[in-house]
Amino acid sequence: MATTAPPPTTTTSFTFPREYHFPPFFSRQTQATTHHAQCSKWSALIRAYSRAHKVFKLSLIDALDGELFHNAALHKRLSLEDARDMLDFMCREGRAEWIGAEKNVAWIWWRSPDEWAAAIADWVDQTGQKNSVLTLYELTESEATISQEFHGMDPELLQKALSILVKRGKAQVFGQEDQQGVKFF
Amino acid sequence: MFLKHIDLTTALRPAYLPDEVLLFVQDSVGLYEGICYVDNADPRKNSTAIDLKDVDRFEFYAGFLKSSAKITLVPKPSKRSSVQNRSISSLNTPSRSATASPLSRSESPFHLPAAEPSASSSATWICPICSFSNPVPSNFDPVTASAHTPLAPCLSCGIKPPLALVLKAAISGATNRSSQSTSLRSPMPVRGRADSSPRLPSDGTAYGNGGDTNASTGASFQCPRCTFLNHPSLLSCELCGAPLLSQDIPTGLDKPTPRNESPGPTLNHLPPPGMESNESIKLSFRGGGEKIFHERLKGSMTQRKWLLQGAPPVPKSTRSDNGPAVPGTTTPTGERIKSAGIAGLEQRRMEVRKNNELVIGNAFEDLEALMASAKEIVALAESFANSSGSSGSSEASALLAQSANALGLVTTKDMLGSGSSSESLYLSELARNLAEFLTDDARGVLRKAGGIISLVDLWAVFNRARGGVELVSPTDFEKAARLWGKLKLPVRLRQFKSGVLVVQGSDRTDEKTIKTLLAWLKDLHAFPPDEELSWDWQMFGRGVTAQDTAERFGWSLGVAEEELEMAEEKGALCREESIEGLKYWENWIVQDEPTASELAVVVGVNTSMI
Repeated sequence: MATTAPPPTTTTSFTFPREYHFPPFFSRQTQATTHHAQCSKWSALIRAYSRAHKVFKLSLIDALDGELFHNAALHKRLSLEDARDMLDFMCREGRAEWIGAEKNVAWIWWRSPDEWAAAIADWVDQTGQKNSVLTLYELTESEATISQEFHGMDPELLQKALSILVKRGKAQVFGQEDQQGVKFF
Repeated sequence: MFLKHIDLTTALRPAYLPDEVLLFVQDSVGLYEGICYVDNADPRKNSTAIDLKDVDRFEFYAGFLKSSAKITLVPKPSKRSSVQNRSISSLNTPSRSATASPLSRSESPFHLPAAEPSASSSATWICPICSFSNPVPSNFDPVTASAHTPLAPCLSCGIKPPLALVLKAAISGATNRSSQSTSLRSPMPVRGRADSSPRLPSDGTAYGNGGDTNASTGASFQCPRCTFLNHPSLLSCELCGAPLLSQDIPTGLDKPTPRNESPGPTLNHLPPPGMESNESIKLSFRGGGEKIFHERLKGSMTQRKWLLQGAPPVPKSTRSDNGPAVPGTTTPTGERIKSAGIAGLEQRRMEVRKNNELVIGNAFEDLEALMASAKEIVALAESFANSSGSSGSSEASALLAQSANALGLVTTKDMLGSGSSSESLYLSELARNLAEFLTDDARGVLRKAGGIISLVDLWAVFNRARGGVELVSPTDFEKAARLWGKLKLPVRLRQFKSGVLVVQGSDRTDEKTIKTLLAWLKDLHAFPPDEELSWDWQMFGRGVTAQDTAERFGWSLGVAEEELEMAEEKGALCREESIEGLKYWENWIVQDEPTASELAVVVGVNTSMI
């Protein structure tokens, strides 16, 4: 689960939104309107952060100590319960998906599988690699994709995206286990 | 003008003159030392009052068929006309059955009460020449009497008495009165008598053919045929069966159909020729309660407290009191000698003690007197309490000191009639009382509590201010407080989400409170904090606890909590829970950021990566 934890030090300078520096943002709001605003702002923050740090799978337990949920300057952190609530809210929005019933790890859909599938197809189209066979490793880890958002993508997520393309008849996945390859049409 | 405009307090009640006491209150009709009417719809404009000391006499009409019970008040003649009228009435009084007054109207079937209700009538002065006992003229007013007041000569020898003699007689007559039974002077309507009984001058009200059908409470009724004294509620004589109602009207009293709205006072102007002052006031009792009102009116008319106004309330210990027992305290001319040293101090203590003895002795002579000297007694009790135990806090003693004051203002249950509506009347009077208490600038109860006070606190303060008498039960208190809105009083009761009841000025709305809270929080952006803060305080300001808020606005902690929660509920504030406790902040969560920074961040990251 190397990908679930946010990278410890990144060169990217992620600018947190204003609310991140506002102490009440880390306390659960009781008033309905305020709570809804709080949830949607957290949802936006989590997505923006995940995108900036290429987080596809978020493990709550690990992330709670990360800078996303813990503002060290304010000495404020979101409690596990509240963080779970925020992710629940994102699930309802279609922006996240729990992995497993115990609700500890979740997909963060800063791009949904559909969008990922489209992005991959576009890239293949643009680079003229239709009808050629690529390994999955090549797709996410090669230098050719380094400028693409799906570079370093979680293999599981890649499988999901590719399966969508397969269903549409735009690709075919073959091989087994670590040796999988994909052919785009 | 007989009717005068009255000043109203904040609670839309008549403002009392110094020394004025509330005697009795009825729905829409209030009897003070004077009768006040306060309009419900437009209280400031349509309120009016009559000074009881201007009332010459009053008549009672028990109500008949559709006409409800009434009390007619006849004013004293105005000063200008009083010269002639007084001589007439003074001649009239002793020999009232002899001749009809020239002003009487024989067509009116209403008959004068057998006894003169006016207080002065019982006083007599003894002619220094022939020692004949003359009655003091009924219009003789010791307060206004001067050397120029015309006095009626002695009925026997025709020599004019000295003013001092009549004055003395009038005052002693007034003071004796309280110990005498008032029923002697109660007006006794006489029914069925056809002879021309005399009428006092200046009667401007003509009754219809209703006549007097009933007697006042407690008065019995003489049968015109057999002179048997019947109970006043009987319609025919118990002994001989003779009808006790006038012949020319049908018997069988209908219950007057209740009318909902009582109109405001209208002035009756029926000027008969040759009369100067012809006004009278009719109080109509549609809702009942006329008997007890009449009773109280009678009582206050006989007591004539206003005569005592201005007179020294407590006899001060002077030389004549001390007598020879303490020689040397006063000079022969009555002035006190200043004695120095311990002897002087002791002497003063002695004087004070004597005076106190006198006050207490007077007060317990009878209950009436006790009521009258209640003020002094309370003051005395307070001074005792102060000298014996000076342990109480200054605020508590200040409150206690006001209790005497409060005593003069309180509405007590026994002031009200025992009618069906007395409970609601008590509550509405209590509500007004409370509103006055709250808005009283001298006390500043509401102001001291930051414009908002919990009902429980108010209840405690209010009962304390009452000085331990006529305490109000919590139920009555809450009910009265709930009446504020209905009575359009300047205070309102508010219920917080948690169920806590608070009292605040009716102009203080939630919006106003939120506005002041936000203004305060905004101020915190400008002032640098004492210690280093980890957040951008210029941007977000600071969070405040209920404690801070309570200190800032002078609210109690409970009120501050409730107000903050209310503001949060309205979306103006948001909360921050931390180890320091619950803090409230301006709601930056709901407010949208001016720039969509999340998007900018993403774009920035992307471009930097490329």
